[in-house]
Amino acid sequence: MAISWGRSTGWLCAGFLVLAAAAIPAFAHHSFAMFDHDHQIKLAGTVTQFQWTNPHVYIGLDVTSGSGSGAASVKQYTIECANPGILDRSGWKWNMIKVGDKITAVIAPLRSGEAGGLLKVVKLADGREFGNGGPAGKASVAVEGK
Amino acid sequence: MRSALTGVAVVLLLWGPCVQAAAPPAVGQTAPLDHGMLLGTWARVRDPGDSGRVSAATAKLLNIKEFGNTRASPVIVVAELPPLRQQYVSKWVDFIRRSHEADERGQPLATGYSHCLPDGMPTMMEGMFPMQVLQSPGDIVFVEEAYRQIRHIYLDQKQISPITDAEPGFWGHSVGHWEGNTLMVNTVGIRDEARMEGVPHSDQMQINEQIKVLSPDTFQDAVTVIDPVYLTQPWSFTWTFKRDPSYKLLEYVCEDNREDSNSEHQNLRLFQAPPAQH
Repeated sequence: MAISWGRSTGWLCAGFLVLAAAAIPAFAHHSFAMFDHDHQIKLAGTVTQFQWTNPHVYIGLDVTSGSGSGAASVKQYTIECANPGILDRSGWKWNMIKVGDKITAVIAPLRSGEAGGLLKVVKLADGREFGNGGPAGKASVAVEGK
Repeated sequence: MRSALTGVAVVLLLWGPCVQAAAPPAVGQTAPLDHGMLLGTWARVRDPGDSGRVSAATAKLLNIKEFGNTRASPVIVVAELPPLRQQYVSKWVDFIRRSHEADERGQPLATGYSHCLPDGMPTMMEGMFPMQVLQSPGDIVFVEEAYRQIRHIYLDQKQISPITDAEPGFWGHSVGHWEGNTLMVNTVGIRDEARMEGVPHSDQMQINEQIKVLSPDTFQDAVTVIDPVYLTQPWSFTWTFKRDPSYKLLEYVCEDNREDSNSEHQNLRLFQAPPAQH
């Protein structure tokens, strides 16, 4: 028996539509459901890795906290970016970030609480700013200031 | 006089191909290289006739915020729901639900994407990234940047019969012919793993496309999926492309997918400390 998508099953359609949204192959590999876009954070740190690969580009970033009298601790973040194609079309260059660079990044952090997230915008040591392509969405936190 | 004639000849030489390219082809004509209208590089765009277009109401219904500002970017999902037969609906919905829950946990399900497999047909024609069309005397070739997918549409061959004799592949076996400004294509032989949005299909599935050149810089791919085993009726959708003459396709090798659920360290791998530099 065939299923009807008519008005009588409108609620069913609505349910399927909501579920079907999860199948959007955003960035080709997974949805952004694992990232908390409503509580973006800003990170300032030192680049430990810049990997220009498909299906994603990754930035490794050491972020130091606990300055002053307290003991400083370093947290190692992994920041997921779009892929080289999307970033290339957004003005990035494959070698524009290097290990040791001091950068600032706004990310949508992992909901799991692990030290990682989806890049929204990055500010390089020379002051240039780059987004993460359209599908990743815009930053809701300024990369400038505190 | 001689130079004037030479000038005319040059103009004719330059003009000739333009006239030839612009002239509509005859119905049913399959002569090689006379339908160069698709040659070049193309990018998927949002368009009133494009199935990826999501209205404000639908966007709200879909809770699109969950996926970033998808509304501001080319949407590559098919808005039309698959007309699955009743007995296959619940399994598909369950897959979508589990997929969503797994994504929220940061542990995506094992799918072709997580294993770095290419889309195959018909998903490839969503044009996730730009694509380039090439042509030789016997076939038209679509090259999709994502996963560096290559698809041949043969103009000089008949379709395999019976369909179930077609060797299963990601892109199957495509044959086509021109009808006016429309390239009519039939594809069979898609392997089971190549599923658009997780929708199952049988070895009797056929994908019919009308790749219509609307203008020198626009074409639409109207896709119709037919599958007597899984679908109650044809599943149709349309994708629109605009010419992007300045773009050069990049390499794409899926070499480090940290969402690969084959890995026993899947979630740890996703955001663990990066490996040492080489």
